[in-house]
Amino acid sequence: MEDWKKEWQPMIDAIGLNFNEGRKQWGADSVERGSIRQFLEPLEFDCPLHYDKAAANEYGYSDVVAPYSSLFTWLIPPYWEPGMGVFNRAERNTPVTELPLLVVSTDLAPPTPFYFATNVEVDYIKPMTVGDRLCRVGDVLLSCVPKETKVGRGAFLTWETKIQNEKDELVAKIRLETYHYFPHDK
Amino acid sequence: MGVKQQHYWEDVRIGDEIPSLHFPLSVARLVMAAGANRDLNSIHHNSEYAKETGAPDMYANIIFLYGMWERTVREFMGLSGTIKSVKEFRMKVFNTVGETVVTKGFVKKKWQENNESLVELQIWSENSRSVTVGPGQIIITLPKRP
Repeated sequence: MEDWKKEWQPMIDAIGLNFNEGRKQWGADSVERGSIRQFLEPLEFDCPLHYDKAAANEYGYSDVVAPYSSLFTWLIPPYWEPGMGVFNRAERNTPVTELPLLVVSTDLAPPTPFYFATNVEVDYIKPMTVGDRLCRVGDVLLSCVPKETKVGRGAFLTWETKIQNEKDELVAKIRLETYHYFPHDK
Repeated sequence: MGVKQQHYWEDVRIGDEIPSLHFPLSVARLVMAAGANRDLNSIHHNSEYAKETGAPDMYANIIFLYGMWERTVREFMGLSGTIKSVKEFRMKVFNTVGETVVTKGFVKKKWQENNESLVELQIWSENSRSVTVGPGQIIITLPKRP
């Protein structure tokens, strides 16, 4: 095995482990009508289930229902909270101090500076309607595959997570694959 | 544009084409999408930053691309349809600013199980050069004719 791939061995050894057993990781906000409306805008997504309560009721939903694809939006934690400082530098391309996206923090993986999502699979159990608050429960590592790609050297990680609402009802199960990497030297 | 009609399970045939949708990706649209779906990783709204990470330019985030599939499927199935699962939503190529994403698909399978009328759709996204997302599978439920 090449040396850079060996750095991922602790993650490979951890396949099957639940990194956040029993821990609930809540999204920043409840499912809100205004946020759903904003979600529809860039998609030009004209579906009355997502903006008309009467239409949603007619089709069996208790309130305006969120698009299936917005599941991840309701799971993203806040970028800023009272007491935090996340915009500390004025350089043009400085990102917020910490991205709270749906990546599992662990010391077992090499400290790659970049990542992006590459694959997602979702089983939907229950609709997400206005007023729901969602959380992730547990993050089981399903696979770790070191690979060199066009953008750099790193590994594809796949995690399985259960999604629950504030009533502890199962809403969905997701399997998210992300690629974490060190970019190639320019 | 919009959800115009209801599709019934009996009327769906294997091989039926799912009408394509076009999503031109301007900077304004990518910025709006990142703000709306909360994936504010700079790779999705800042060209210079995206290039530092090895990408050719800023590119659409996974939630936005996933939404394109959902809108495509919703307009095909109608308001009574539901989505049971999405599989193999695999992003193969960056969907960069300046490209137009085109969603495509067809009916792959239909069956009944546990009192549900199910249909499997094969869906993918293309840009001017290649397939960029998928092909993946979306399993939906459709109502039966009254």
